[in-house]
Amino acid sequence: MTPKERVMTALAGGQPDQVPWVEGEFEQALQIRLMGGRTDYTPGELCRAMGMDGFGFHFPIGADAAASKPPHAAKSAHDDYYYPQSITFDFTPPWIAEMGKDSTGRAFVKKGLLVDRDSLRLFDEFMPDPDHPARYETVARWIEQYREDYAVYARIRLGTASTIESMGLDVFSLTMYDDPDLVKEIHRRFSEWSIRVLEHLNRLDLDFYWAADDHADTKMPWVNLEMYDEFLYPYQKMVADAIKKPWALHSDGNLFPILDGLLKLGMDAIHPIQPSAMDIGKMKAQYGSRACLIGNIDLDYTLTRGTPEEVDAEVKERIAVAGKGGGYIISSGNSLTDYCKIENVWAMAQALKKYGKY
Amino acid sequence: MADVLETIKEQCIKGKRVEVLTEVKRALAEGVDAKRVMLEALIPAMSVVGEKYSSGEFFLPQMMLGARAMSEALQFLKPYLVQASYEKKGKALVGTVQGDFHDIGKNIVKMMLEGGGYEVVDLGVDVSPESFVAAIEQEAPQFVLMSALITLTMDSMRRTIQTLEASGVRQKVRVGVGGAPVTQKFADEIGADFYNADAYGCVEKCNQLLG
Repeated sequence: MTPKERVMTALAGGQPDQVPWVEGEFEQALQIRLMGGRTDYTPGELCRAMGMDGFGFHFPIGADAAASKPPHAAKSAHDDYYYPQSITFDFTPPWIAEMGKDSTGRAFVKKGLLVDRDSLRLFDEFMPDPDHPARYETVARWIEQYREDYAVYARIRLGTASTIESMGLDVFSLTMYDDPDLVKEIHRRFSEWSIRVLEHLNRLDLDFYWAADDHADTKMPWVNLEMYDEFLYPYQKMVADAIKKPWALHSDGNLFPILDGLLKLGMDAIHPIQPSAMDIGKMKAQYGSRACLIGNIDLDYTLTRGTPEEVDAEVKERIAVAGKGGGYIISSGNSLTDYCKIENVWAMAQALKKYGKY
Repeated sequence: MADVLETIKEQCIKGKRVEVLTEVKRALAEGVDAKRVMLEALIPAMSVVGEKYSSGEFFLPQMMLGARAMSEALQFLKPYLVQASYEKKGKALVGTVQGDFHDIGKNIVKMMLEGGGYEVVDLGVDVSPESFVAAIEQEAPQFVLMSALITLTMDSMRRTIQTLEASGVRQKVRVGVGGAPVTQKFADEIGADFYNADAYGCVEKCNQLLG
């Protein structure tokens, strides 16, 4: 099987020739360390080096290869979005928030700005035009140039993460009681933006989508099933209905209390089954026939603070539990961050070769 | 009198801020002591909210609603409590450790502690070990509670405890740690006094330690 066939088989719940490996995020600093300091590798080269079967995260190359430049007379505040200067497959809206950067350059939300009805005007200021052709044209060229026989995905959002991050979890929580229609209006606007994006993406040669929308922390979801059904599901479903390819839903944390609600969206896969929050054995037994499972190699300890031997043992165990009968794509329990130990990421690659064959 | 306290408690558990405030005013008008309103209605209400959140019956929005109703009622009662020279149960510093900018977990702990009758000094996010030391010297808290969301910043907890030791203030406080990647094993390893997996558990630990 080609890497792409392997991924698509697993996403459909089937059993490929071996367990595929795809990450939803693979930070560039770690990619470069794993590639011996090089920054000129193609997505395919990285996948071959790691034994991965697909990509949709950022790469350091691209500016010289295909990215277009904004026409001089037509500069806008959203040029970084319209004219990406290195390889990306992201089609996620910005947070409507005050942003900061930590000492490693990682961006974080300082404060959500959608706090009342007046602040709705910020949509006009923050949101790029979803119909602007430049980003789609550039990404289409990148797919053509770099896809080889790998599975290529685009990252999107259903709108929930955008709503929560742009309001702030505290404001979101209380506004559900104080002004429920405002929460719905904000979610609807983000979801409608994603729907327009999807009308373009569905025409590109992408294999699947990765919808990144956090709903939970390690203890439990931020809403109960009743709140989920009223405030999130109707707008998520609008986006899900616009998706014309297989797709995976990403959410950190413990999703069990709302999982039956989420599965009504009809996604093909769930990621990342965070090990400190969800038991993948329970997931496989109760939900494994309804969605492909992606993830569960622990980022909190094993990949970041553990030993290669512990990584080897964890990969072996996860494949035995979740890989049985197919419908499993191995991946970290969140993403491959630049603070993963390099020897542990190599150990994951080696262990997959050892234990991943069906 | 018991009725009005019971009503305040019930309305606070439901997060009914307007009703709680109305009933608190009624209680004071009927001659109920402000301290009793707090100790026999508001704090017990937050204990119930905390237990329900811990057990999974309440989700974050329901917990926050209860905490807001409690906080507004306490704000109203503050002048009466000052007159009665009411002492807080204890004082805690809370902060997200250096290099980490996530504050949701820390804010939940803060709300639950305030609901539990503690005075809380919030040091914010990205708090350096030296800032914790300075705040201990200035505020003289019983507890220092540190939060981290990502593995990368957990080591800041270790460095903070080392700095507290080097500065001679470690023995003055009980140090608690929490956050998604934190475990009891890690807490033991870095010499923290306690760890808990959720916010209400943290309040219970503080209560136990105060005896």
